[in-house]
Amino acid sequence: MRWATRRHCHVDRAACAWLIRRFVDADAEFVFVDDPDEVPPGATPFDMRGVDLSHHGGNCSFETFLHRYELADPVLWEIAKIVHEADLADERYDAPEASGLDVLLRGLSMVRDDDELLELSAPLFDGLYEYRKRALLSGREPA
Amino acid sequence: MARQPARWVLLAYRLPREPSTPRIAVWRKLRRLGAAQVLDGLAALPLDARNREQLEWLAEEVADAGGDATIWVGELASARQERELAARMAGAVAADYLALAAEAAAAREQPPGQRRRTLGRLRRELRRIRSRDYFPPPECEQAQQALNELVALVEEPVP
Repeated sequence: MRWATRRHCHVDRAACAWLIRRFVDADAEFVFVDDPDEVPPGATPFDMRGVDLSHHGGNCSFETFLHRYELADPVLWEIAKIVHEADLADERYDAPEASGLDVLLRGLSMVRDDDELLELSAPLFDGLYEYRKRALLSGREPA
Repeated sequence: MARQPARWVLLAYRLPREPSTPRIAVWRKLRRLGAAQVLDGLAALPLDARNREQLEWLAEEVADAGGDATIWVGELASARQERELAARMAGAVAADYLALAAEAAAAREQPPGQRRRTLGRLRRELRRIRSRDYFPPPECEQAQQALNELVALVEEPVP
């Protein structure tokens, strides 16, 4: 399936792309556009103004994906808190990892194009998932 | 020399009077971003990718709450008005910096454990003010200085 989002990806779009590949559509193909009008026919748009898979009710797009695809995995909701704060910093959640993740992805987006950004950030989110999973299972931060 | 006007991103929005919760939520978020309220329902931020995106999400939030919103990119026609707007925004954060400097100074009298916790909180607060400061006023340096003095005190070995 083809998925479309805005060019110059940052944390929310990178996290959504990772989520799509891992949990929704393993063969996902991503296209990047400048304007919602440029979304190719047949592609599913996300993290753009005026589309369903985007920010709604103060949620970031990653949170919207979890709702729409009924992904109830508690580890994903832990990641959602971090992505939300990295993207919006509105202090809805306590996620101290957020500012670090924001800087890492912002910096990466300065030296890599969108395809590379998604490729390089995916293992980062895999790691974040594993870390949060272990934390959730053991009830403490893993060493 | 020709003036190179600063570019701004603006959110023009209208929300129903009631309920008031979305109005307050939008107002809070604009304040957190450091936006200047140009008029009732018109907020401005210096143009960059992040500010533009944040205002676009706010526009979406306004629409979701039954209002309407548009995003504009523009510049002030007069250099003087541009300076005034920047000075107004700097003035707003200057007050926040001064409050932080005063708190840091007061914390020097606190017992060591409490002082350390206050330092942590003020560091986070300074980061928050910085993130909405586009025209750093001299008070920024003052707040940083007051915090540095508190750091020195916290790091002093207990006799």
